[in-house]
Amino acid sequence: MRLDGAIETTELDLGLTPNCQPETKLDRPLEAEVRETRLLTESPWVKTLGRLELYVTTEGWKFPAPPANYASPPRAITEPKAAGKGEPPTGSPCNPLLSRQEVNLPALPDNQQAPKPRIRPKPTAETVLLKDRLLYLLQPPLDGLFDGRQLEVPFAPFQYQLEGIAFLMPRPGALLADEMGLGKTAMAILSLRLLFHQGQIKQALVVCPKALMHNWGRELKMWAPDIPFETFEGDPDQRRSMWLVSNCPLKLVNYETLTRDIDLATDKRVYFDVVVLDEAQRIKNKESKTAQAVRALKRGRSWALTGTPIENHPDDLVNIFHFIDSNLIPAGTPPRRIPQFTSDSILRRTKDDVLSHMPPKVMRDLEVELTPAQRAAYVRAEEDGVVHLNELGDTITIQHVFQLVMRLKQICNFDPATGESAKLEQLLTDMEEVADSGRKAIVFSQWVEPLQVLAEALKRYGALQYHGKIPQQLRTPTLDRFEKDPDCHVLLMSYGTGSVGLNLQFANYVFLFDRWWNPAVEDQAINRAHRVGQKHPVTVTRFLSGNTIEQRISDILEAKRQVFNDLLAQADKPATMGLSEDEIFGLFDIKARPKREKH
Amino acid sequence: MTIQATTSTRTTGPLTLGFLSVTQEPGGWAGHLLVTNGWGRPIEFRLTSPVQPNRVQSALYGPTLLEYLHAEVIGKTLVDKTGAKPDLIVTDSLPALTLRTRVEIPVIAIASSANTLPADVISFAHPRSSAGLLLSNRFASDRNAILSLLERIDPAVDLTEPFARIRDAVTEHRKLGGSNRAA
Repeated sequence: MRLDGAIETTELDLGLTPNCQPETKLDRPLEAEVRETRLLTESPWVKTLGRLELYVTTEGWKFPAPPANYASPPRAITEPKAAGKGEPPTGSPCNPLLSRQEVNLPALPDNQQAPKPRIRPKPTAETVLLKDRLLYLLQPPLDGLFDGRQLEVPFAPFQYQLEGIAFLMPRPGALLADEMGLGKTAMAILSLRLLFHQGQIKQALVVCPKALMHNWGRELKMWAPDIPFETFEGDPDQRRSMWLVSNCPLKLVNYETLTRDIDLATDKRVYFDVVVLDEAQRIKNKESKTAQAVRALKRGRSWALTGTPIENHPDDLVNIFHFIDSNLIPAGTPPRRIPQFTSDSILRRTKDDVLSHMPPKVMRDLEVELTPAQRAAYVRAEEDGVVHLNELGDTITIQHVFQLVMRLKQICNFDPATGESAKLEQLLTDMEEVADSGRKAIVFSQWVEPLQVLAEALKRYGALQYHGKIPQQLRTPTLDRFEKDPDCHVLLMSYGTGSVGLNLQFANYVFLFDRWWNPAVEDQAINRAHRVGQKHPVTVTRFLSGNTIEQRISDILEAKRQVFNDLLAQADKPATMGLSEDEIFGLFDIKARPKREKH
Repeated sequence: MTIQATTSTRTTGPLTLGFLSVTQEPGGWAGHLLVTNGWGRPIEFRLTSPVQPNRVQSALYGPTLLEYLHAEVIGKTLVDKTGAKPDLIVTDSLPALTLRTRVEIPVIAIASSANTLPADVISFAHPRSSAGLLLSNRFASDRNAILSLLERIDPAVDLTEPFARIRDAVTEHRKLGGSNRAA
């Protein structure tokens, strides 16, 4: 490099000369070779992996639709939950649209627990067709039915009543044997009503004692206002028309009329989907005309209602089952084995089971000392009577003993000569207290005559009478007056007429002026007052004349009272619930006995 | 949200409700439709045989499979075969909501706490149901008719309750091996 800034340059030769030489391969000409190949003339291979289409098959069941004429009557209150405090409940006298009887129930804790399990009728083993079983399983729960608009009821049934309905509905044969006062009538009516609504039944017959016809009519209007019913009344032509022509869905007949009309009732044109027997102990005698009549009815379902299915003997129950399901209990079944055949067909609850907070029933055994005149008459009658019985020797019968018992019991009520009565004196004292407190009492006797005497003695307490000598047409007005008239504090009833089926829960005192032979009948009488709807304790006074035949009978019956309710489900029961023949003879110190044939 | 009725749809005649249940059973998906009156009383009950998609079907239907099965294959078949046509269908299957695209009957679903609600449903409450109710957003215009129908249902009816009955009936049907017994 030069330092003076001159630039020295060098010339480059960029010329290129390719070296080209011919390839030897291109010396020969190129020739194309052609081959034919079939590529797209065949269909592509396809593999099926499965159907894309999905499908199902179906099966189904149609159920009977509720008949249109069972639509609920219009309601004044559209939403039941809208009724708040202070508003009259539906059906109260303040509601002019509905003339329903309001029943004031105590607010029972049993009815306030929540949430409760839903209650549904479940198909029984007798329901064999799948469609029939599904029909029950697909029904809405019973506890919801009475909360809405669909079934108008005076008040929501208790939980145990819903269970009773769930028991009855699916059963072709059932015995509802709840203790008196738990609402068997209401349960039966609601069961019928629901079956009508479901279209499962179209014709039903209720058979009840004559004295309860009015009560049934009243309960039907209350619990099933949308089900028309008619009662068998009038002359034979009218009744013939009712049996054979009328298509009224629900018919009500008493045992006596049914027995009288048995030829019509068993006509081939007469069929009932359900026959309900109230106070079914009426058919405990299998050979009676009544029992034969009800068994002859052509029917689909056979329901029996009674709080006393066994009054005297386990055979009572067996004979009721001849109506319910004649094939259920094999002939000759010993009593201890009966429950294994009947357990699924009987529902029996006591108040203690289901109404633990019901007002208590206070039992008061009041021993009175006969007045001197009564005692003298009593001793004389007993001594003479025993002498007479012994004189009869082997010609003596139970009837002879009965006659003496009756005579002595009557003296325990009143002295035949003077009319003195220790019981009456005590009753007058007690009635003073009953009337002062504004309460009402029922007095029971097995005879009409003492009741008539008592009516006179208790006149100032507005005494009313209800027994066999009161004409039928006056009986219901009597009960109505007893309920509504504040001056009527006492109702005098005979066991025979007033002990079954009547609702007298507005009375708080029951007096058993004399004692019945059978504790079940006494219980029936007591439970006229101590039943659902009772708001106050019920005091039951059982008069007993000390050191008399009454005392002896009571001792025997009391020992047997406890077994009464057990017989339905337990084994090894006594053969009889009332007094046996030996026990009746044992009431007196007599040596005479009826002559027996030796076998 | 709570849907407010904007207009009152006046309908007459007895109300009929359809309760559509779709359950997965050992043999596949099975559907059951209980038709009741407005009091919840059964009028008709119909059920399907189970249907089990295979793997290819599952792959090819992809996310639309359940909707297709519940709404088209099961739901529409049941509605078509049932004699008593319901005025409102209530289902316990969310995928069956799209049954509405196949029938001219409003369809609502019972909301389940287990389900995550998709964006295209409207949730609302009503006194006739102890659980929330769902309506397809595509058929939001049904809401007035649905509310009107719900008002006609007896206050004692809880729309979730009949599904318990359906379960009992299906169990009974399975127990008795019911088939060829349909009326």
